[in-house]
Amino acid sequence: MTTLKRTSAPHTAPPGHTPATPSPTARPIVQARGLTMAYGDTHVLHGIDLDIHRGEVFALLGPNGAGKTTTVEILEGFRQRSAGEVRVLGSDPERGDDAWRGRIGLVLQSWRDHRRWRVAELLTHFAMYYPDPRDPAELLALVGLTEQADQRVERLSGGQRRRLDVALGIVGRPELLFLDEPTTGFDPQARHEFHVLVERLARDEGVTVLLTTHDLVEAERLADRIAMLVNGRIRACGTPSELARRAAAQAEVRWTADDGTPRRERTEDPSQLVWELHRDAGGPIADLEVRRPTLEDTYLHMVHRKADGADGADGTDVVVDREAPAV
Amino acid sequence: MKGAHMTNKMARADKSVKTDSPHTAGHADATGGLGISDRTDMPNGGAAPDGTRRRYWRAGLLRGRIELRHLLRNPKELSGHLTNVVVALLIAGYVSDDVPGTDSPMAHLVIAGFAAYLLFQIGLINLPQMLVTEREEGVLLRLRATPGGIPAYLVAKCLLVVVTAVGTLALLLVIAALLVDGPLPHGPGGWLTLLWVMTLGLLAVVPLGAAIGAVLPNPREALALIMLPTMGLLVTSGAVFPITSLPVVVQQVASVFPLKWMAQGLRSALLPDSARVAEAAGSWELPMVALVLTAWAVLGFLLAIPLLRRAARRESGSRLTARHRKAAQSGAMPA
Repeated sequence: MTTLKRTSAPHTAPPGHTPATPSPTARPIVQARGLTMAYGDTHVLHGIDLDIHRGEVFALLGPNGAGKTTTVEILEGFRQRSAGEVRVLGSDPERGDDAWRGRIGLVLQSWRDHRRWRVAELLTHFAMYYPDPRDPAELLALVGLTEQADQRVERLSGGQRRRLDVALGIVGRPELLFLDEPTTGFDPQARHEFHVLVERLARDEGVTVLLTTHDLVEAERLADRIAMLVNGRIRACGTPSELARRAAAQAEVRWTADDGTPRRERTEDPSQLVWELHRDAGGPIADLEVRRPTLEDTYLHMVHRKADGADGADGTDVVVDREAPAV
Repeated sequence: MKGAHMTNKMARADKSVKTDSPHTAGHADATGGLGISDRTDMPNGGAAPDGTRRRYWRAGLLRGRIELRHLLRNPKELSGHLTNVVVALLIAGYVSDDVPGTDSPMAHLVIAGFAAYLLFQIGLINLPQMLVTEREEGVLLRLRATPGGIPAYLVAKCLLVVVTAVGTLALLLVIAALLVDGPLPHGPGGWLTLLWVMTLGLLAVVPLGAAIGAVLPNPREALALIMLPTMGLLVTSGAVFPITSLPVVVQQVASVFPLKWMAQGLRSALLPDSARVAEAAGSWELPMVALVLTAWAVLGFLLAIPLLRRAARRESGSRLTARHRKAAQSGAMPA
């Protein structure tokens, strides 16, 4: 724990680590084009396009059942896609061999394996599988588990267990780390510690991270770029500030008309509208309010539409409330 | 075009994922869409070089050693293995007759039978249970996500099974010899028979147990599913009393399974040659023992390899989550 407290000091500065600005020639570490997943007529993913660049933290944000886990499991090589092209570290994940496996790290939310092993024993053991592993003791310090080194894995708290999973995920110096809903079920303290750890991995260790989450705040805090996945489609993708700007592009102007009826109008240029209103009224406007939607408003709006099942213009869309079964 | 591609992918969906090396032809379908070269920037894209393979073996052996240490320090699991030894000793101490028609004590037949049953149980009950439990906890998925993890896992399990088998068997024979004047092999020939029957016996049950462990749904149902048939075989295989006292039909059914032959082989190693008159065939039938056990070993391997591969391939995070949710609902595991 002491280590983590020490590492949290730099974060009095804004948490934005240098966003990855890939050189134009650099090939994305993850590429997907038209990635589609269907079980019979049920489409879980509708032609997803993704580019994740080396060194960035990329968040796949979406409500439960949006297809996040399916997408990530396809990228991890654990699931076969129905159609589309996928390249992870230059290979098709379905054909990834051991050498390829050694270059990616995984942290899943449901791991409870090796309970009888001791923390350091387990980490030292998994270091053996890699050609150039990290030093287990240094790694334990990095994830703040030095004091728990001799404890049995089953006696760790949820947050400690997940940090051990991260240590196991990066012991082989992977170029790409998958974090699948890493903070589900955490209390605020454990969550904060986990966020600090991820920031540190990205900033100091240069690990490319693909994170899935249903929590916008988590995505905004950790990610260089966010892709919003709703109902098997990417509805928006960009840096948090880009997304926020885009969300705020359509401002809502509200006022009360002369006859006392409340009015509202959406516009990209609220200043123009307000000026016109004043000109037409020739004086003050009652209850005038200009409101720019936040990213959260937009996200909740998308999720809400999905929950209503209102999204499905092409007739192929379905509301999927559970993760699709594995093949 | 897209439709055709999709059918192609769907058709592949049943086949194994990781057979082809990334450099094989027939990979052209994937290059077109992204317009990127198929060159993989892997340090060693092809088969694992010797150094890598040695690392995996080392990891597997070390893993087996650690698992063994955990087993020895776990009183609950250890007592499971020792119960049989104790039961065998109690029965052997209790029976005082001779095997009918011979001057060999019945106790020796019981010890030999339980020795066979010990091997049988390690392969067909302990091993599947271990596999199912570890699959459920995510050990298999973790190792699948680790380069060389699955080979190392198999090496570790083999080591664990062999050491457990040799250990319990030695314990049984030594304690029996000390406490109840139990049987020990007669001469080098007897030891040799003991060795090959044990080896073939393990080969007959371990791959089979691995195959069973790969298909059983979960640890709670697993035990019930394997326990009954095994107990049935223990009774009908003539392991604890002479098989000749059983109805012929029962004898014939039991003689399909490896336990009868393992027990018979071990009796030939542990009992004096004169005791063979009590056997159904009037002889030890060692060639038949070797034949049946080999047949089971071959069958076991044929089943285990594809089933284990399938089990490992099917593992994924969402399956694990789904199983945990189900287990938590049934109250068997904390959520």
